[in-house]
Amino acid sequence: MADDYQMLEELGSGSFGVVYRALHIPTAEYVAIKHIDLEGSDDDIREIQQEISLLATCNSPYVTSYRASFVRGTKLWIVMEYLGGGSCLDLLKPGPMEEKYIAVVMKELLQGLDYLHSTGKIHRDIKAANILLSDAGLVKIADFGVAAQLTNIKSQRLTFVGTPFWMAPEVIQEAGYDFHADIWSLGITAMEMAQGEPPRSDIHPMKVLFIIPKEHPPRLEGNRWTKEFKDFIALCLNKDPEKRPSAKMLLKHAFIKRAGRPDMLRELVLRARDFEQNGRAMDRDVRYYEETLKSMSSADEEDDWVFDTVRPSKNATRKAVNTAKHTVKRRKLQRIPSGNATNVENATAALEAMNLDAAPLGDITNASTTGTTRDMSTIRTPKPRIASSRKVSAITARKISIASPTSRRVSRNISSHAPPTRPVSAAHPASKQPLGPDMSFGNSTSTVRQFKRVSSGPKPTISPLQQPPQTTSSPIEDPSPFDSDAENRPPPVHPVVAPPSLPSTKEAILGRRAFTKALDPSFQETHASTSDQTKREALSHVAEAWSNLNAVDPEGELLLLKSMMDRIQADPKLASALLPARVVNAQLASLRGNRSPVKGGGKKSGSVVVMVAEETAEETDAEAMQTSTPTKGSNVRTSSTPQQSPSKPQAQQQSPGGARLVLNPQNPHLQRMRSGQQLSATTAEKDAKALSSPPPPPVMASLLDEKMPGRIEPGLEHVGLLGDVLFGRWAEGLRMRWPVA
Amino acid sequence: MAFLWGRNRQRSALDLVRSSKELLLRLTKDDGQLQKTEEELARTLSVMKTTLQGSPDTDAQPEQVHQLVSTILSESLLPLLVSNMHRLPFEARKDTQTIVSNVFRFRNAGSTSNEPDALKEVLRLQPGIIVNLCMGYEKRESAGACGGILKEALKWDAVAAVILYDEPFPDGKTIDIYNDVDVSKKSSGNGVFWKFFDWIDKSSFEVSADAFDCFRVILTKHKQLVSQYINTNFDLFFDKYNNMLVKSESYVTKRQSLKLLGEVLLDRQFYEVMTRYVDSGDNLKLVMWQLRDERRMVQYEAFHVFKIFAANPNKSYEVQRFLVMNKQRLLKFLPRFLEDRTDDDQFNDEKAWLVKAIGNLPDSTSALQPPGAITPQTAGRSVQQQTGLAQVH
Repeated sequence: MADDYQMLEELGSGSFGVVYRALHIPTAEYVAIKHIDLEGSDDDIREIQQEISLLATCNSPYVTSYRASFVRGTKLWIVMEYLGGGSCLDLLKPGPMEEKYIAVVMKELLQGLDYLHSTGKIHRDIKAANILLSDAGLVKIADFGVAAQLTNIKSQRLTFVGTPFWMAPEVIQEAGYDFHADIWSLGITAMEMAQGEPPRSDIHPMKVLFIIPKEHPPRLEGNRWTKEFKDFIALCLNKDPEKRPSAKMLLKHAFIKRAGRPDMLRELVLRARDFEQNGRAMDRDVRYYEETLKSMSSADEEDDWVFDTVRPSKNATRKAVNTAKHTVKRRKLQRIPSGNATNVENATAALEAMNLDAAPLGDITNASTTGTTRDMSTIRTPKPRIASSRKVSAITARKISIASPTSRRVSRNISSHAPPTRPVSAAHPASKQPLGPDMSFGNSTSTVRQFKRVSSGPKPTISPLQQPPQTTSSPIEDPSPFDSDAENRPPPVHPVVAPPSLPSTKEAILGRRAFTKALDPSFQETHASTSDQTKREALSHVAEAWSNLNAVDPEGELLLLKSMMDRIQADPKLASALLPARVVNAQLASLRGNRSPVKGGGKKSGSVVVMVAEETAEETDAEAMQTSTPTKGSNVRTSSTPQQSPSKPQAQQQSPGGARLVLNPQNPHLQRMRSGQQLSATTAEKDAKALSSPPPPPVMASLLDEKMPGRIEPGLEHVGLLGDVLFGRWAEGLRMRWPVA
Repeated sequence: MAFLWGRNRQRSALDLVRSSKELLLRLTKDDGQLQKTEEELARTLSVMKTTLQGSPDTDAQPEQVHQLVSTILSESLLPLLVSNMHRLPFEARKDTQTIVSNVFRFRNAGSTSNEPDALKEVLRLQPGIIVNLCMGYEKRESAGACGGILKEALKWDAVAAVILYDEPFPDGKTIDIYNDVDVSKKSSGNGVFWKFFDWIDKSSFEVSADAFDCFRVILTKHKQLVSQYINTNFDLFFDKYNNMLVKSESYVTKRQSLKLLGEVLLDRQFYEVMTRYVDSGDNLKLVMWQLRDERRMVQYEAFHVFKIFAANPNKSYEVQRFLVMNKQRLLKFLPRFLEDRTDDDQFNDEKAWLVKAIGNLPDSTSALQPPGAITPQTAGRSVQQQTGLAQVH
C-alpha cells in the first residue's frame, strides 16, 4: 500500500506524528499522510485506533476526509485528504481576520459540528489550529486526536481533554459534558480569529484552567464588531452548557445568516501565502520525507539463545540442528566470562551481541532516546525555530545526525499552538507525566503551552507522591555500587560486590532520572515563564547543551549536579533560598536533635549534627508525605528513602555504626515556619527513636567538621545526590499540586 | 419521493420495518435502481434510529420504542440488517449500528432478567445474529459497525458464550447455548471464535485492530467462562495464538498479542491456563526470542511474559533446562535490556529481581533434577516472589 504513495515534503507535525504531503500515484492526487511511530510510546494502540475509527465514520464535506491507514514497519500511516490552504491559525499570521471572513468560517464550522454532533461525536478540541482550508477556501474540521464517540446520544463524557484556552468550564470541572462543550470552544475560536489570540492567552495555561470556570466568560468588545457578532459570541460563551444553543440553532443566527460564500476565504489563503513567502523566504528549509533505512540484521548467531532445537519461525530459516550442536554451543557458553557486568568489555560485547544497534531505533542504547516514551515532556530538538505554519516552508529544524525516526517526531506542533491533551488511560503504569509542560523550545512567539494532564479517572497514575511502595527492598539486597566518587578511584578499589544487576550503570540511570524528573521539566517550566525572546533563546541553548550532556554522559551529569547541589547546600544563603524544604527539615531535625543534642563541636558555621537511629524500610510508608509534610529526618531521612530504590541500601551501608549524619546550616528565621508544619505519627515515632539513640561518638563530630563547605568527604556524596533527587521530587510535587491548588 | 418525506413522521413501526426489509432484499439484487434503493433505505433506517434513541433535541418515546423493537424482533429484521451491513450506504451503516445496539439494550419496564429482554430473545431464538456480526470482520465495510455492536453486546457473558461455543452445523443452525453446550468437549476449531485469529492476522490494519480489540474483549470480559474454554481447548488455542498472533508479521498484532498474553496469564482467574502455559519449553523459547526482537515495545511486552516463566515456583524440567542453559547469556543480556527505561520503576524492579532469580539458578543442567522434581527451598522462595510480582503487576 505504501508503494502507492510518493512521499513529498513535510507539512508539519501534529499532536501525534509528522505529516507529509504525498502523491497518490494511482489517482495522481495529493494526499496528506500522517506518520505515527508506534514504537514511540507505551500508549495502547487502541487509542490511535479509536481516532482512526472515528475519522473513518465521518463523511462530510466539512470534515477532513480519511482515506486509508496501514502499518509499515513500526509506523502507522494515516492517509487523509490534502488541504492546501493551511489552517485558520495560518490565516491569522498576517493579522486578525475581518468579521466578514469570520462569519464564513463560523458558518462552515457550524455545519461541520452539526454533522459531528448528529452522529454522536464530540470533537473536544476546536480551535483555529484545527480548522483547515482547502485551496478553494472550503473549511474543514481536522485533528480528531481527542474526539469522542458517544454510543448513546444522550450520554455524557467526563474526560479532561482539550487545549486550556479553548476548554469549556464544564470540561474543566469534570462534571460531565456533552456536545455543548464544542460550542464553547467555537466561541473562543471566533474570538481567536477576531483578535489573533484566544482570550486570556497572556495567562499561563494552567492558571487559565482555574479562571475559566471561575470568572465571567470573555466577551468581544469594541466598535469594530457588529452587534450580531458580539451576540453570537455571547451565546456560545455561556457558562451554563444547557443554555448554550446547539450547532443547528446557531446556524440560524443572524450573524451566520448573512455570511458569504466560502470562496471568499481564498483571499485570506492568498494573503497568508504572500505573507509566508515574503516574510520567510530566507528561512525556507523544506524537509523532505526520507525513508529510515534499517538493516534488519538478525541477532548475532554466536550469542543467540541456546535451545538445542530450532529457532522460531521469525528468523525464517528453520535449521535442523542435531544434538551435537547443542554440546558445541554449551562449550562456547562456558567460555563466556561470567556475568560480572562491571566489566566494560563484557558489556560492550553483550551489547553488540544483542544487536541493539541494529534495531530500527538505532540509538536505543544511546542515551539520547531516554525520551522515546516520554517525549511529551522532553526537549529533544531545542533548536530555536521560527514560528511557522503547517506550510511547507518554515520548518527549520535541521536534520539531526542521528536522525532516527524518533528524533523526527520531536519537531511537533509547528503551528505553535498547543496540541490537545489526550485522555490518558489510567492503566498505564509508567511513562505518563502528570502535568508536564510540553513544547519545543523556542519555536514560537505564542504564549500557548502544551501540556498534558492525567485523566481524572479512578486514580491519577503517577503522582510522584504516590510512588508505589518500594518493592525493591527485597529484590536488591546487595548494596548497589552507587558511589558517585567512582571517578576518583579505580573501580577495583570498590570492594562492593556488585550484584549481577545493572551495576556501573546506576549512576547513569540516576543521571537520566535527574534529567527527566528534575532538569528537563525545570527547563521547560522556566522556558514557559520566560517571555523575552532573547532570554528564551539563551535558555533553550542551555537546555540543548544539557540534553546533549544527558545523552552523552549521564554519569557526568549526575556528578555535576551533585557538586552543584553540594555547593549550594554548603552555602547557607543559597541553601535557604534554593532548598527551603530541606532547610525547614533541617531546622526541624535540629530542633529535635536538641533533645538529644549533639552540637557538632560548634566550631564551624554552627552546624548541627543530628544522629538518628537506623531507619529501615518500613519508613517507606511515610514516604508519600515526605514532600508535603517535612518529617523529622530531613536529609537523613531523605537519604534513606531516595525513592529510587537502589541508593537506599547504599546509604545505609555507607555510614558506619548504622547511623547517618547530616550537616545543615541553622537558619533561625525558618523557625517560624515550623509552627505550620504538621508532624505525623510516624514522625513522633521516630522522635522516640532519635531520643533513645546514643549520641554520636565525638570522633564522628570532628570528622564532620573537617568536611565543611566545599569539601567532599568520600562516602557522603550520597547526601548531595539525594539532595537533588529530593529537589526533583519537590519540583515535581509542586507541579502536581498546581492545578489542584 | 416527496410523499415519503411527508409521511416519515407518522409511519408506523410495522410500516418502517416492512419497508426496510423489502429494501434490503432489493439491495441484494441489482435491478438498476441501486442508488434509489440505497437512498430510500438510508432514510428509513435514519427514521428508525431517531425513533429508538431520540435526537439531541428530543427524547425518544418509550411507547414507540417498545413498539418498534418488538416489531423488529417479530419481523426478524435483524438478521437481514446484519448480513447486509456491508451493502448499506455509509451513513446507513452507522444508523444500523445504532439501531441494533439499541435493540440489544432494550429492556421492558420492570424487567429483572440478567440480559436485556430483546437481547435475550435474540440469544434464545436467533443466536446466528451474533455469529453473523462476527462475520462482519470479513469485510472492511462492515467491520467497524459490526465490531461496535459486538463489543457493546459482549458485556453479557451469553454473547461471549455464543461466540466461543459456536460450531458449524450442517443445517446452518447456530448452537443453543442454553441447552447444547458441553464445556468439556473440545472445539472443532471451525467455530466463529477461531476465525478471529485469521481476521487479526490477515486483515488490513483497520479491520485487524478492530478484530483484535473485540478478541481482547471476549477474552477478558468473562474470565471464568473463557478460562474454562481455553483450558478445554488449550493446545488449539495456543497453537493459534503463538503461531498466528505472537509470530505475526505485523508489528501491531505481535505487540498487542504479547501484551494481552501477559495480562491474561497474570490474571488470577486464568491461573490454570497460566501454569500450563509456563510449563512449556516451547512457549518459553518463543517468548525469549521476542525478547530479542529488534523493536523495543515488542521486547518490553515480551518481558512481561518472560518474567512469569522465571517467577514460576514449579518450573518444569524443560523450562529450567532452557533457563539454565542460557543463564550466562541472560545475565549478560538482562542488565542491559531496555536500560533507557529509567523512569519505569516497576520494570526496573522486576528486571533486577529477574537477574537475581536467574543468578540463583544452577550453573549447569546436570544439577537439575529429573523432570517433575523441584527443590523445596526454590519453590518456597519463588512462591513468595511470585506473589510479590503479581501484586506489583
